[in-house]
Amino acid sequence: MKQKLRSSVQIILLFALTAVGLTGQSYPGKPKIIRCRSLEKETFSCWWKPGSDGGLPTNYTLFYSKDSEEKIYECPDYGMSGPNSCYFDKNHTNAWTTYNITVMATNEIGSNSSDPQYVDVTSIVQPDAPVNLSLETKTSASTTYLWAKWSSPPLADVTSNSHVYHYELRLKPEEKEEWETVSVGVQTQYKVNRLQAGVKYVVQVRCMLDIGEWSEWSSERHIHIPNGESPPEKPTIIKCRSPEKETFTCWWKPGSDGGHRTNYTLLYSKEGEERVYECPDYKTAGPNSCYFDKKHTSFWTIYNITVKATNEIGSNVSDPLYVDVTYIVQTDPPVNVTLELKKTVNRKPYLVLTWSPPPLADVRSGWLTLDYELRLKPEEAEEWETIFVGQQTHYKMFSLNPGKKYIVQIHCKPDHHGSWSEWSLEKDIQIPTDFRIKDMVVWIIVGVLSSLICLVMSWTMVLKGYRMIAFILPPVPGPKIKGIDTHLLETGKSEELLSALGCHGFPPTSDCEELLIEYLEVEDSEDQQLMPSHDSGHPSKNTKIIAKETDSDSGRGSCDSPSLLSEKCRESRAILSTLQTQDIRDAQENNGGRHCETHCIASEQKIILFNNESTKSSTWPAAQLPDNQPPMFAYHSTVDAHKITPCTVNVNIAPVLAENEEKHQPQCPIMETVHDNMEKQREMENLYSKTDQSTVQVKQNRPNDKSPFLKPKLMDYVEVHKVRQDKEPAVLLKHKENSGKTEKYTVPGTSKEYTKVSTVVDHNILVLMPDSRIQHISASQEPAMETPQNLQQGQAEKNMSYCLTVPSECKRETSASEYMDPSSFIPAFK
Amino acid sequence: CHTSGMLTPNRKEYAQKIPREELTHLILKLLQAWKEPLSHFNQHIEHHQELPDDSLSKAKQISNMVHELKTGVEKMQSMGIISNSLNGMTSSEAAGLSISNEANMMSDSDFIHCFRRDSNKVQSYLKILKCRIMPENSC
Repeated sequence: MKQKLRSSVQIILLFALTAVGLTGQSYPGKPKIIRCRSLEKETFSCWWKPGSDGGLPTNYTLFYSKDSEEKIYECPDYGMSGPNSCYFDKNHTNAWTTYNITVMATNEIGSNSSDPQYVDVTSIVQPDAPVNLSLETKTSASTTYLWAKWSSPPLADVTSNSHVYHYELRLKPEEKEEWETVSVGVQTQYKVNRLQAGVKYVVQVRCMLDIGEWSEWSSERHIHIPNGESPPEKPTIIKCRSPEKETFTCWWKPGSDGGHRTNYTLLYSKEGEERVYECPDYKTAGPNSCYFDKKHTSFWTIYNITVKATNEIGSNVSDPLYVDVTYIVQTDPPVNVTLELKKTVNRKPYLVLTWSPPPLADVRSGWLTLDYELRLKPEEAEEWETIFVGQQTHYKMFSLNPGKKYIVQIHCKPDHHGSWSEWSLEKDIQIPTDFRIKDMVVWIIVGVLSSLICLVMSWTMVLKGYRMIAFILPPVPGPKIKGIDTHLLETGKSEELLSALGCHGFPPTSDCEELLIEYLEVEDSEDQQLMPSHDSGHPSKNTKIIAKETDSDSGRGSCDSPSLLSEKCRESRAILSTLQTQDIRDAQENNGGRHCETHCIASEQKIILFNNESTKSSTWPAAQLPDNQPPMFAYHSTVDAHKITPCTVNVNIAPVLAENEEKHQPQCPIMETVHDNMEKQREMENLYSKTDQSTVQVKQNRPNDKSPFLKPKLMDYVEVHKVRQDKEPAVLLKHKENSGKTEKYTVPGTSKEYTKVSTVVDHNILVLMPDSRIQHISASQEPAMETPQNLQQGQAEKNMSYCLTVPSECKRETSASEYMDPSSFIPAFK
Repeated sequence: CHTSGMLTPNRKEYAQKIPREELTHLILKLLQAWKEPLSHFNQHIEHHQELPDDSLSKAKQISNMVHELKTGVEKMQSMGIISNSLNGMTSSEAAGLSISNEANMMSDSDFIHCFRRDSNKVQSYLKILKCRIMPENSC
């Protein structure tokens, strides 16, 4: 077994190796971090050595983390310090943290990462070596010193110059092996005393920061220490100049003097002559110079000038300089520069500059002709403006800014050969600000005009402000809903409105004016949209309520058959804009559930009422009379019925509106209540007469509209007058007292009473049967036919109101208002 | 330079001391001395392909200028502007011809160097002359 395993492993390995060998490709070898180094403690770089690349192009990435943090970063700059390096700039370098650095090599096959390297910046500091090492020997009092000078190492970031380096110098004679090291401190120069004369020395310097390591030694510099036996070094001639084209001077620079006093002599010869002369004057122009006076100066001839350094041992001659004096003229700057301000005819100031040629230059005779150039700038400006003037010694400047101070300088040059002189001293002048009466007048006029314009504009704004505003910002048009008479709404005749809407009986009788609710017709068809009118007393509530009602779905308790319900709710919501309930609603602050219920119910109601053709009605047994339950509706509880509908599905909602009873119980309780009512109804019915019809006998007393509640009149509340238990059982409802509000319900026959519902037509029209004493109900139909919409609306509203009233405080309400107590409900017909 | 043999004032004092006529004569002599070499030079450099066209045209321009300058100075001389007395034109031409042959043997750089110097000389002398004759104009 083991053997088998072993052999299989071997085979696998073999295969792998073969594969590798065959293809020659593998994952890359492990890279190795060679070194990390910081030049100045603020940045550092790391270099790594790649391993084998496995035959494929390999990518190297450097990852690092700081101290013991988890976060891993990637190298910020790969190329800065060269290939296979990573440069950490100032922002990425923290001095007192330990970096854990790894390099990962990745190729197509795989990757390999190096061992981690822990780097503390402070420990890897090593500056570059110092640069510009220069050596000089000086001899004084028969001892020779060596002056060594150097510069600190250059940094890429030259702004940070605050590094203090410590230096060390070492020197040794060329042939020797041992170095003599001297600590220099922070100076960049050093004087070496104890030198052997005549020996060639090698010198090096290195530096260090306050932390870290010493830099590398700088490159070697050799110097030969002169002993007393060597001739002086070759001097060099610096330059020769003529200040006025009549004389000239030459300067030279001596070399090392070889340990002894060295004498310098300048020798020259002229073109075409063999004779060599010596400098006529060594003193006038200072040390290491030669002054040629007029007599010794010839023009248009070339001088061959050399300087010879002589000491006791030997002498040395400089390289010759060939000079034609004509071409080396460089004068002094011009003098007597004057600036003057003058005014033109238009009272504009202009500047007149005048100057004189330098005193030594002989311009009078024409021997020397000078060209002038001036430059000027405003005091605070950076750049000069240079103007070539020519040979004249005056200049006019016109385009200067008043109020500014200008600085002027002039220099000159001999025309056609020579150099420009130095700039003359700065001269400044202040241009006065130009204050003119004319300008002020213009400004005054402008000010007056603008103030006039402002006055005119403000006046027009005041007078016709509104129109202008309306012109600029047209008023937002309000929504217009077709089919409603806005005036009617505005006048607030609730009864009329209700009647117009077809809601009947909703507002409670007697002192229920304030309870009038305006209904919105909820219609199947699109064009039934009414602008809601707000009851004067409670517009906000109504809208609020309605708003609430729009949300039909959320947890409305027993408002189920959610889809349908929501559909219906939505529909009715859409149609219903503001339904205002009166005190009922106020009295019973609707909780959500109630609202929902209300809304749902209302919507359902409406839908049921008006939309029975649609499928929605299918969910409702609305039009259909439940077989098990007589469609009893407390007239007040269209809501109930409504609620029942979702709950029980067996309730005929439609003709429930008789009075909005305060069924403020939750839905199912309402249901129960309704159920109770229905029971009662049933009882009553049973009491009075059993009819096959399972229509609810709804007695409804609408003060203004005696049509069935379908009639789009304001719903009104009627009080039960009495319960009749004669052969035609009925609940007599009190006639509404304030019938003036709503339209009088005209009934054929004055004492007609509609005792019971005969049929429900089209699922939305309740046909009330008149009393035996009264005619049949054509009248009842009338309202139904008249303004079915109104009725519906009224119904809807009633429903709504019922809905609203139903929840919770029904009991309260019951007591408070004239609502019929369902328990005591007896269909009564007036 | 082929004109090195000419004795010309090489200092300011000498130039100021020398009488005007002589100075004028010198100027003319110088100008004359360069007339021939310049044309020869122009012919010579026309064959130099590496020179830019500017140089060739400039060289032609220069020889024209020299000629015109000479003509102008001669004119002035004959009109008596330079000297108060009317001198006949001393024949500078003969003097000029003799030395101009040497110029043909100069190298180009020497030629240019010598010409530069001599033109500077002429310019300086003319300026001195100008300031002597009409001192009020920027002298």
